[in-house]
Amino acid sequence: MWLPGGQAEKVTETADFRPGEDYFGGLERPFGGQGVVLAIGPLRMGLEGLDADQAREIGSRFHAFVDAACTWPDVKIALRDAGVGAFLGMPRPGTYEVYRLESRTFGSRLALWSYEFAGFIDSADGRGALALVERAGPLFERGLENFLRVVTASWMLRRGGFLLHACGVVRDGMAYIFFGPSGAGKTTVTQLSPNDTILSDDLTLVVPGPTGYMAAGIPFGLAHHRVPDTTGSFPIAAMHRLVQSRSVRRDPIRGARAVGEVATSLPFVMQETSQAALALDTVEKALATIPVYRLEFRKDDAFWGVVAPGRN
Amino acid sequence: MDEAMDRSTVFVKNHDAVYRIYDGEAVVVLPGEAGEAAERRHLNQIGTLVWDRIDGRTTLGDLIEAVVQEYEVTPEEAERDILEFIASLREQKMVR
Repeated sequence: MWLPGGQAEKVTETADFRPGEDYFGGLERPFGGQGVVLAIGPLRMGLEGLDADQAREIGSRFHAFVDAACTWPDVKIALRDAGVGAFLGMPRPGTYEVYRLESRTFGSRLALWSYEFAGFIDSADGRGALALVERAGPLFERGLENFLRVVTASWMLRRGGFLLHACGVVRDGMAYIFFGPSGAGKTTVTQLSPNDTILSDDLTLVVPGPTGYMAAGIPFGLAHHRVPDTTGSFPIAAMHRLVQSRSVRRDPIRGARAVGEVATSLPFVMQETSQAALALDTVEKALATIPVYRLEFRKDDAFWGVVAPGRN
Repeated sequence: MDEAMDRSTVFVKNHDAVYRIYDGEAVVVLPGEAGEAAERRHLNQIGTLVWDRIDGRTTLGDLIEAVVQEYEVTPEEAERDILEFIASLREQKMVR
């Protein structure tokens, strides 16, 4: 297949096509004329150029997050037919590789691409485009969600908040955040909190509010992630760095160590120097009012006794 | 000491490394490659003193002098500790 707008090269199973400005400038084929606005914490994200099936499917899947009354979203993403079979070469069947996601920044514009999608968002005017190689099915869903997660993370950072690789649990109206790398125990914490409201088991938003920082869930997770129980935002009681142990104890983390622990748990935005610097400053500001702890926990709900004593 | 290194040697931070100092201690972040997590290093006060002065112009001799002035160590002890510290930063690609 010959690629429109980029360097002319023949796509094979393993060839990579890294879209340039000319490619994005030449994206002209919307899937249809419909749109949906999603409310992600304080962010209103408009998706345009959808066909009827896509609009119905997105409206159904993200039902609780649809904001039908919004006419002026913060971010407008135009969905387009990619016109190519793949951007980064798909792994050969039977082979394994870590999901590849590449990005490039030019001015206020962040472009990113993977196998099944390529898109950009311009933070100056909130406009972007997303090219997808398929109009429905798993590749469409994965490309859409992966792009929207990065857009959410990038947008939040420029508004004083951040997306954290963390689960969020609401107990008695307060949000408790538990963060750490994959395998740290985020999903376990949510499973050990059956009577609480779950914001997310993987990605939780931290956003500044009028009276302090609030936590909210986002709907974009791959199939194995839990859809948030609520679209609400809740005041944050504390953040906890999860450490699996045989014992249960909680110790405060302060200063540089706390900022470092939290900042390096921000997905997507720490791959680039300018965003990493902003992330450190944003996290530092948030931690002036949010306490951070190292939480040793075992696989039972005893940790709630130290996390929220008197509230279990 | 490295044969190619003397007290006039200068060091340069990795241009991609981002750092901030809080209460005298630094957190240094080296943004990850695509799909990889960022590397993080937390420095104590003496490490921060050295790191903050690494700018491509400050010599090893200057670093030794700065540490000796702030802490009760001999120039020889300071030099040994600084070189060990620099070696670990190099290993993590935070300086060159």
